[in-house]
Amino acid sequence: MKFLDKNEELCTKCHLCEEVCAAAINKSDDREKSAIRIDDEKDIGIINVCNQCGECIEVCSEQAIFKAKNGVILINKSKCIGCLICVGYCPSLSMIFHEDIPAPFKCIACGKCTDECPSGAIFLKEIIDEEQVAAGVAE
Amino acid sequence: MIKVNNRPVEWQEGMTIKKLINILKYSYPVLIVTINGEHIPREKYEAATVSDGDDVKIIHPIAGG
Amino acid sequence: MSCILTAEHVHKIKAARKVLKEFKYEPAKLEKGYANKSLYINISNNSIVSKDVTEKMKDVFIGGKGFGLWYLWNAVNPLTKWNDPENEIVISPGPIAGITQYPGAGKSLVVSISPTTGSVVDSNVGGHFGPFLKFSGWDALEIQGKADREVIIFIDGNKGTISIEEAPLESVDTHLIIEELTEMYAESDEDKRNISVVSSGTAAQNSYIGLLNFSFYDKRRKSPRVKQAGRGGIGTVFRDKKIKAIVVKFNGVKGDLNNPVDLKKIQELGIKLHKEIHDFDAIQTQKREVGTANLVEIMNDYDLLPVNNFKYGNHPETWKIDSKQIKKKVTQNMPDGCWYGCSMACAKAVDGFILKTGPYKGQKVLIDGPEYETVAAVGSNLGIFNLDHVLECNFYCDTYGVDTISLGTTTAFLMECYESNILNKEITGGLELTFGNKDAAMELLHQMSRGESFGKIAGLGVRKIKELLVKEYGAEPQFLNDIGMENKGMEYSQYISKESLAQQGGYAMTNKGPQHDEAWLIFMDMVNNQIPSFEDKAEALHYFPMFRTWFGLMGLCKLPWNDIEPANNRQTSEPAKVPEHVQNYVELFNSVTGKTINKQELIVQSERVYNFQRIFNIKMGFGQKVHDNPPYRSVGPVTVEEYLSRQDRYDQQMKELIGVAPDGKTIEEKIKITRKYREDQYEELRQTVYKRRGWTENGIPTLEHIRNLGIDFPEVLEVVNKHL
Repeated sequence: MKFLDKNEELCTKCHLCEEVCAAAINKSDDREKSAIRIDDEKDIGIINVCNQCGECIEVCSEQAIFKAKNGVILINKSKCIGCLICVGYCPSLSMIFHEDIPAPFKCIACGKCTDECPSGAIFLKEIIDEEQVAAGVAE
Repeated sequence: MIKVNNRPVEWQEGMTIKKLINILKYSYPVLIVTINGEHIPREKYEAATVSDGDDVKIIHPIAGG
Repeated sequence: MSCILTAEHVHKIKAARKVLKEFKYEPAKLEKGYANKSLYINISNNSIVSKDVTEKMKDVFIGGKGFGLWYLWNAVNPLTKWNDPENEIVISPGPIAGITQYPGAGKSLVVSISPTTGSVVDSNVGGHFGPFLKFSGWDALEIQGKADREVIIFIDGNKGTISIEEAPLESVDTHLIIEELTEMYAESDEDKRNISVVSSGTAAQNSYIGLLNFSFYDKRRKSPRVKQAGRGGIGTVFRDKKIKAIVVKFNGVKGDLNNPVDLKKIQELGIKLHKEIHDFDAIQTQKREVGTANLVEIMNDYDLLPVNNFKYGNHPETWKIDSKQIKKKVTQNMPDGCWYGCSMACAKAVDGFILKTGPYKGQKVLIDGPEYETVAAVGSNLGIFNLDHVLECNFYCDTYGVDTISLGTTTAFLMECYESNILNKEITGGLELTFGNKDAAMELLHQMSRGESFGKIAGLGVRKIKELLVKEYGAEPQFLNDIGMENKGMEYSQYISKESLAQQGGYAMTNKGPQHDEAWLIFMDMVNNQIPSFEDKAEALHYFPMFRTWFGLMGLCKLPWNDIEPANNRQTSEPAKVPEHVQNYVELFNSVTGKTINKQELIVQSERVYNFQRIFNIKMGFGQKVHDNPPYRSVGPVTVEEYLSRQDRYDQQMKELIGVAPDGKTIEEKIKITRKYREDQYEELRQTVYKRRGWTENGIPTLEHIRNLGIDFPEVLEVVNKHL
């Protein structure tokens, strides 16, 4: 599965990743609409981003959240009824909600922010999990 | 003799909050415990000793059902 | 579910339908939580009318139970009986109902004149019907009249059509009809989630303790399931009106349909509570894992679980029916709610249960629950510690449309009568109704469904059975009144209140009857000793009933209030009230409606409706001091064996509280002394509570109080003035 990994020691808190993400997934220049978050106040846990753990899948009564073949957790927005349980239930609080956007959103491991990160603090990582092997999409 | 929630309860040698809770069969999962006004967190129930004459409060914070 | 429903069968029942009346309307768009319209249907003459919901109604009665009471008040007169055509069934969800962000927001309140109490009753129920009704453009649904043939009412909230249809071939029992109607009205499998059915069952039409089931479609199980409006026999009224079902269809649930003034605030509050439940439910009340059933073992530990008609508070075999055993039977391995966005998720179900008795014997069925109340009512209170029996009984009660609480308390009463030789096999038609006899208990329920033999008598409920036993069999009335656990004609719910004076009041000084949804004060009072004086108890018997009434005005569930609490709740000055959650509710109401209440005004909103309901009782010939008398079983030990079972406790109390030495006295003498003391205590509590609630010594709201609350309408004053 693919997910966004991090090396926080390298993060300079430049917030460029937030700008790239907001533009990419919500076509916005508002950093609050980014799925990756940089916390200026913190020294540990600076970078908050989904690790594709999938705990949100089962709390969704509408079955709107699912795991794609590449292991990334995606949301079918048309099925979402906006209950926000997934937001409250995300163990790392990486399911993001913004009042202007009807459904919650999250990192889809597209890699756009990692391409732009000047310090190399964030990067895409791919690990092969058993499920993928079983599904025949990886070996 | 000690007081639990302002009612007399027999004191025993070596009594801890954990033992007291067992004696009283207070199995409700959420309790607020104080000894002489001092709050005792859940993880200290075993270590917290109750002395003769202590004023213990074990509050069940529900008005539910 | 159990039945194998073929397309052919559905086609056949559909073909037998005849539309009696059709009505088209433009579904109102919700504004600030209200549709501002209510739907009136009269099934005597098949008239359908759209009514305006006025600003005054919203200010005074708010919604939900408030609207139900107001419509019913206008529909009936003091002589109206439950089975008169004037009696209505009013279903109203309330302004907050239907939001998807905050847990527990899908409730409907059902109001009617009850067959067992003769007065007004209200019942709070989950499932999808209430929100769908509102999204279809209706703040309330009033049904009046009596049909001359079996009918179904169908509301299509997208198309804006309502029809009354003759429905000769549909089943009556709930597990069948919900499936038939879900299949019939859904255009595809995907569409089934948009259907909700209100139904009852065959025992509801042969008893006074019938309930209403409200369905919701379980998308994972691919089957409709039900929640119950259990108390007060409204299912009996429903079947007496010859209604088989009310169906609502609404496609398009979204989080903003209430059109609230501040969606963002609602979203913030919702996320905050979801997170709290995520972090603490597993170490607090475990609603997600076991629902309400964890109370079984807790109540047993505190001597509060009713055993053998409320004689005792625990039993060594309780472990056989506790939540650990129930957990093994519950099959859905994920949390499960009855409305969108409920992360409290207390709903539970057992799949593939094979029935051992009755008309559906051998079939594999889906059973909702069991809830704590059901386990206690049809299990421990009957001396039956057999989980399969509890599940079987739970299933049949639901599908037959019978309230498990009333059934359990009534059967427990009959068993004690049997063991006291007031009843015998001749009277019961051969049923050996001893405590612990599960086969007899099940057969009684099946007889109720068939309307046969002693099951018909059992279906009358405790009050009417007492009258019958005195009249027909010369039974001693005082003993029956002592052990018959009813007040106002409603059977007690399942908690032992003997050691909590406040809870004795919490049961018997209620509006509709002894249901713990007004006040549950046992821990505060008996265990925590936090409300020692009469004034303390009276304050609790003011605050909690008023606060809890509010859920019924809004379309909310009580559980997310105090079955989960914030991390710092224990450090607050009044943890029992869960102050942070009270503030959440204030903000929720304001964010939906745009009003600006605070926590004090929240209580006043409830007080208006609560006092109006009290006056409604007075209008119907009840609602006075005499109607707040508890049966002595709920106050203290009635029998010698009961006294002996807790002799140390009672003797100690005699010494320390009453100031009488128990030595040398017979048990009968001690029972008498204890009784005098406890009844005096109750009387003093009653007068203190009445005063706190703004009532006279006879329990009538004073004119001053009525004026202060702004419910001094001429018709209200007319009722009250006769008693002042």
